[in-house]
Amino acid sequence: MMILSVAVALPEQVPGPGLHIPDGFLSTPIAIAGWVVTIAVLALAVRMTNRSLNERAVPLMGVMAAFIFAAQMMNFPVAGGTSGHLLGGALAAILLGPWAAIIVMTAVVGLQAVLFQDGGMAVMGANILNMGILTAFIGAGLYAVAKPFAKSAAPLLVVAFVAAWLSVEASAVATALQLAASDTSPLEVVLPALAGVHALIGIGEGLITAAAIGFVGATRPDLIPRAATVPEHVHGA
Amino acid sequence: MSLAGVVDRYSERDSPVHRADARAKVPAAFAYILAISATREADWAALGLLAVPVLAVVFASRLGPWFVLRRTFLALPFVLAAVPLVFTRPGETVFTLPLLGWTASDEGIRAVATILGKSWLSVVVAVLLVSATPMVEILRALRWLRLPRILVATIFFTYRYFFVIGEEAQRMLRARDSRSARLPGQRGGGTVLWRARIAGHMAGSLFVRSLERSERVYAAMQARGYRGDHIFLADPPLPAAHLVGASAFVACAVLVQIGVRW
Repeated sequence: MMILSVAVALPEQVPGPGLHIPDGFLSTPIAIAGWVVTIAVLALAVRMTNRSLNERAVPLMGVMAAFIFAAQMMNFPVAGGTSGHLLGGALAAILLGPWAAIIVMTAVVGLQAVLFQDGGMAVMGANILNMGILTAFIGAGLYAVAKPFAKSAAPLLVVAFVAAWLSVEASAVATALQLAASDTSPLEVVLPALAGVHALIGIGEGLITAAAIGFVGATRPDLIPRAATVPEHVHGA
Repeated sequence: MSLAGVVDRYSERDSPVHRADARAKVPAAFAYILAISATREADWAALGLLAVPVLAVVFASRLGPWFVLRRTFLALPFVLAAVPLVFTRPGETVFTLPLLGWTASDEGIRAVATILGKSWLSVVVAVLLVSATPMVEILRALRWLRLPRILVATIFFTYRYFFVIGEEAQRMLRARDSRSARLPGQRGGGTVLWRARIAGHMAGSLFVRSLERSERVYAAMQARGYRGDHIFLADPPLPAAHLVGASAFVACAVLVQIGVRW
């Protein structure tokens, strides 16, 4: 969906939509189920963030959410007038850890729905689940598992690529399943369509994410090791 | 065009809808959209009746139907996700696509039309809320509704710094465009891989700049006595009339949904 919608995105600067489900596309039970899961995980994320970070966390996470918003503008031409751009879930998770990333992505998805009608209100629970929670767990999880084994920077970048690709693919599959469960789109059509398109989009996501992590590692290496757990660097510099 | 010009542009106008308290409007809009999502397939009566209060608010808001209509088409691209249903839902054949040989069923067309109708009406409600309510008021309402402090504060910051960081990103994109001159007819730039790396480096650079900005912001806030929460003026009392109006709006939707099932 993303490639199609980027071209239509209203004024030229507004970030193109990702996998944002609009209102009306999910049945009421599926929309409510999305909220239940999202609220439960979000409550946990708020608790974990409050515990591990403190009042420093708010400016950090707010500016980071604004960064994800802006980073979604970082597109690059692919072919035939289409372009790839960042969705940012995995990048946020690798740099900030899963819990802070969930709050950051919730702010991003929520504001996209409110400001740009990019994604619905009643279905926002499902959208946060797909684009914020799944991506954060996959991104941070894979990265945390692989980090101890990586002796140098290069393998970590491969891990970042895989984590970003998988997170996009997981979002696409979850979206397809929810659309199918709501009887909005037949599974045999929507699953291959979304999973297929996002297998390609995921490559762009992976490349940008890996390059971004590589850049941060080269310029501010102090941010990388700690960032994956607790961002204590706010005081630094 | 600056980002600030794109969003939050029409919220400063004056109308009964604009004046209504956000603490009444936000839950009402949300409940109305949820009620719309409960519409059964091909229940045109319900969709039509649900549109009446929404239309009334559109006119009361003095935003102009054209403005509202234009804003609603933003969410359109996703519509494609529902279209295959026209061809896959079993039912009486209405037409057959010439080349592919897919047959469209009346059942399928009805299902897609219902989804599109629900979706569009929901977007109208959302556009109304956002166009008639300053963002700050929406966030205050979320706080009043007892959303976790850290979440509301983060959304506040996101909204505040979205413009700053977004314009920083625009400057970087403009810089890239300026150094990427291209002769007509000749392919510019490197491979796709190389371009992705440049975009990634820009994202990384933007991350470092954002993070360093958040450090400066935090230091500046601390110097001004920040202790982890935004300090607001006390919430003014919520006028009963606003609450009644919002409840009546939602009650219409609930009554429609009950009425058509009865």
